[in-house]
Amino acid sequence: MELLWLVPTLPLLGSAVLIATQGRLGQWPVAIIGSGSVLGAAVVALLVGMEFLAAGGQPYAQTLWSWMVVSGFSPSFTLYLDGLSLVMVGVITGVGSLIHIYATGYMAGEEGYSRFFSYMNLFVFAMLMLVLGDNLLVLFLGWEGVGLCSYLLIGFFHDEAENGYAARKAFVVTRVGDTAMALGLFLLFRELGSLEIQTVLANANTQWVDGSTLCTLIALLLLGGAVGKSAQVPLQTWLPDAMAGPTPVSALIHAATMVTAGVYLIARMHDLYLLSPEAQFAVAVVGLVTLFISAFTALTQTDIKRILAYSTMSQIGYMFLALGVGAWSAAVFHLMTHAFFKALLFLAAGSVILALHHEQNIFRMGGLWKRLPVPFWSMVVGSAALAALPFTSGFYSKDAILLTSWDYAHGGPWFWFFSAVAAFLTALYSTRLIGVVFFGEPQGESHDNSRANMWAPLVVLAVLAVGGGWFGLAVLNDVLPDGGLSDQPHTGWLPLVTMGIPMVGVALGYLLFFRKSTFLDGLVNSSLGESLRKFWFGGWGFDALYDVLIVKPFVALAKANKSDAVDKVFRGIAALARGAHQLVSVTQTGRLRWYAANMAFGMLVVMLILVGLL
Amino acid sequence: MTLLALIGLLLAGGGVAWLSGSWSSTAPRWVSLVVLALAGYVVLGYWLEPEQAGLYSAMNAPWIPQFGINVILSMDGLSLMMVALTVLLGAVAVAASWTEVTERAGFFQFNLLWTLAGVVGVFTALDLFLFFFFWEVMLVPMYFLIAIWGHENRGFAAMKFFLFTQISGLLLLVAIVALVYAHYSASGVLTFSYHDLLDAELGDGIQYWLMLGFFIAFVVKLPGVPFHTWLPDAHTQAPTAGSVILAGILLKTGAYGLLRFVVPLFPEAAVDFRWVAMLLGAVSVIYGGYMAYSQTDFKRLVAYSSVSHMGFVLLGVFAWNELALQGAVVQMIAHGFSSAALFMMAGALQERLHTREMTNMGGLWMRAPRMGAVGLFFVVASLGMPGLGTFVGEFLVLLGAFQVDVGLTVAAALGIIVAAVYSLALMQRTFQGTPNPNVATMEDFGAREMLVMLLMAAALVWLGVYPQPVLDLSLPVIEALGGVAS
Repeated sequence: MELLWLVPTLPLLGSAVLIATQGRLGQWPVAIIGSGSVLGAAVVALLVGMEFLAAGGQPYAQTLWSWMVVSGFSPSFTLYLDGLSLVMVGVITGVGSLIHIYATGYMAGEEGYSRFFSYMNLFVFAMLMLVLGDNLLVLFLGWEGVGLCSYLLIGFFHDEAENGYAARKAFVVTRVGDTAMALGLFLLFRELGSLEIQTVLANANTQWVDGSTLCTLIALLLLGGAVGKSAQVPLQTWLPDAMAGPTPVSALIHAATMVTAGVYLIARMHDLYLLSPEAQFAVAVVGLVTLFISAFTALTQTDIKRILAYSTMSQIGYMFLALGVGAWSAAVFHLMTHAFFKALLFLAAGSVILALHHEQNIFRMGGLWKRLPVPFWSMVVGSAALAALPFTSGFYSKDAILLTSWDYAHGGPWFWFFSAVAAFLTALYSTRLIGVVFFGEPQGESHDNSRANMWAPLVVLAVLAVGGGWFGLAVLNDVLPDGGLSDQPHTGWLPLVTMGIPMVGVALGYLLFFRKSTFLDGLVNSSLGESLRKFWFGGWGFDALYDVLIVKPFVALAKANKSDAVDKVFRGIAALARGAHQLVSVTQTGRLRWYAANMAFGMLVVMLILVGLL
Repeated sequence: MTLLALIGLLLAGGGVAWLSGSWSSTAPRWVSLVVLALAGYVVLGYWLEPEQAGLYSAMNAPWIPQFGINVILSMDGLSLMMVALTVLLGAVAVAASWTEVTERAGFFQFNLLWTLAGVVGVFTALDLFLFFFFWEVMLVPMYFLIAIWGHENRGFAAMKFFLFTQISGLLLLVAIVALVYAHYSASGVLTFSYHDLLDAELGDGIQYWLMLGFFIAFVVKLPGVPFHTWLPDAHTQAPTAGSVILAGILLKTGAYGLLRFVVPLFPEAAVDFRWVAMLLGAVSVIYGGYMAYSQTDFKRLVAYSSVSHMGFVLLGVFAWNELALQGAVVQMIAHGFSSAALFMMAGALQERLHTREMTNMGGLWMRAPRMGAVGLFFVVASLGMPGLGTFVGEFLVLLGAFQVDVGLTVAAALGIIVAAVYSLALMQRTFQGTPNPNVATMEDFGAREMLVMLLMAAALVWLGVYPQPVLDLSLPVIEALGGVAS
């Protein structure tokens, strides 16, 4: 386990080498360094993980060096391995290396090939620091680091202004959450005197009673950070625009890893939420609202990547819901299975997009199932898992979430109902995606130019998307408070209905999107249907609202005050001085008579004052 | 004596550089570089062998004994870091103006070195009269740097700079004399010595007014809102070397003054005034950042970002606990490097494109990828990315200030969002976006520029992941100033 430090170091090294060589390396060396460093990290992580499990799963901490020591504040660069971080490391390095290998093909021939992999490797490093840091400050380093890499990769093709705008939007919106999180850290340190996670959790339990206001406040501030990073309501608006990045980026950062950092944070800090039922309730509500509204939006999108983006928001909503209702292990379990099937979906979508020369509108695709067999079957498998059809990985994790939410003490059946509706919608939009993209009439040329480095990761991920949920996640048992995935306590109609809902969704989807029904057209074309579609399509108006409330006034005020109102005071003083100067200089005429008259007048005034007349 | 020699070296070096300008226009910059290398050697001595070099031991010689004025120069950890920063950024300034200044190069280097000499004096003088003397010494050559080698509107900017600093300097002088007189009438001892004046017993009223005099003088220099408006003009019009020194070093003299003089000399008044000062700090953070976003001139944007970053220092100094003070010190050094680098970038762009207007840029990464990457790094440093020095400074300041005043800390923390907005806007408007058709080609950074930039980048990374050496150096000073007790 002493090799743990190598896991984040290898990608960092890869990134450093690629930056230092300034793009002078050829494509092959870059591909080998770029994906090799992550693959190497995955191998080391596997070794470390086996040793960890063999040793009985005792948490292992490795201190690298002390960051700083200031007046009792002494964060250190310490890596902390337990069941939770092991799962995260496995996902990041495992799925990460598959996506890197895929990207060696996807990005082939693109400008900035080396720059791309240097950012990607840097991202993997930052993400690993996020999940391995034993101190909230180190976690925050990773947290901001992944945000930076996300920014860099969304705006990777930076010569197009739109990409730059999407990238900045992503960074700034998440930074709103990050600031809340930073305030949470300040408060935590003030109250508990440490930012070391294990110390914080231990102290919180001894220092605070259930329902403590302070604890609630801190938990909510941390939730603010999680909401930003994980694209949950109300800070979700950046994620759809983030799809401007190359597709492997969307798969790695905006589906499999970074966007789930919020889930990790809350799971990691679970004791705070256990102490504060209000905060935990807020987590559940955030999740529920997000999963519900984004499922509707996913149904109306026409861009294949935006469909998947809204779907990601929705699935992370399920994870938040799980955290909120106390299905801790199920949340992390769903995080893992989602990483498998959503990465698969994105990479398959990437292959489709590439084959159609960067076409992303699903209505300009169609009939591709024969021509692109590997992406097609990948998409089918991934969608099945996304829709949670039985025996796929997504089924096990989502089923556990839905069933646990039924038992939630604060309105459980409602939580179950809305998330079940969204599960139905998930099946519906997944079927729509398959139906529109792969069936129907072909809409133009396509070239299946994928090579082994692109289809092999798809196959591996497809296997994981199916089988990745069969064995549960026993390593979490010691870390998370619910003691692992509960054996289904439910019997009777509930499990059957929960299992059946996605199938109904698929069946309806088949009727609507495979056999063009006039019923659908009628529904969409009705005026109510049309305005609803527009409302959902625009993401329930959040973007428009923020634009009017925040962005526009901010920019307008900036323009208006460009020359700095404060300076007006000083310029006023200067103008006053100049004015007085001009006033006085008028009296300097050079005429002797004028001077004499003035003197006489002055003396008269003085004398009058002296004798007391004035 | 070493300190006197150091200052003398810079002054004499300035003279030599001026003279050498009469027979070659390239000689002066080499003279400057050699002088700064020698100065660096002296400073390195303090760093590596503090005992032998006499860290913490003061030099004390009579100057005008009738008035109790002495030449007291002393180096402690804080001074050492500031002097080291001065010498280092001085060299950066020389490198930054390597090809920019061709006219009257000798006089240029003279002014540069004399400014640096004044700054070193300010950072080491512990006699208030001597301090004021050096305060003036550093300003006059700076005025010339802006007025002679500045850009299109240099006369106006130089005059504005001069008026702001002279009026605040007058305020400082009056406050110093009044302090000395108050001490004299209470104790019968006429002295300008800092250590003697620390014990001055002052009435509440007079203490408050004197504190205000010092405070305003230093906040003008910092600069804090609402006394910041000289800075954008001075920076924008100054030659690159002038901007580097202004942002990197001169602003720090204001911060240093707050830290060294205002709070220790007038502790009770400073506590009474704490909320107002911290408010000004928070306002500076947000308003400076917001104004930075509003600008379309590269240098003006960076200048306003300095107001924002130095706002954290103001906040930290008046929060006055170990966390916040250490944060303020780290922030001073980190901002020295990050702002110097951005101003050097602005200078490099202006030298190549003959404009600072960002609407004339865009897509420059395509033309000069090395400049793009370097620009990206320092923009990221400016927005406070963990792992770089600015983050450590700002985080510690906020962490410490939070324990003193939650509301103002929350307000200042919003500045982190604004920092992201303006920093990324800077990146977008210059290096990203559609390549500007008017800029068909642009020469990328050469070896000299890359070397300087990488040096500053390395310093920021070092401060970001292992700031302990800096914290260890400043800890005894902060303890001595009373920053740990309260």
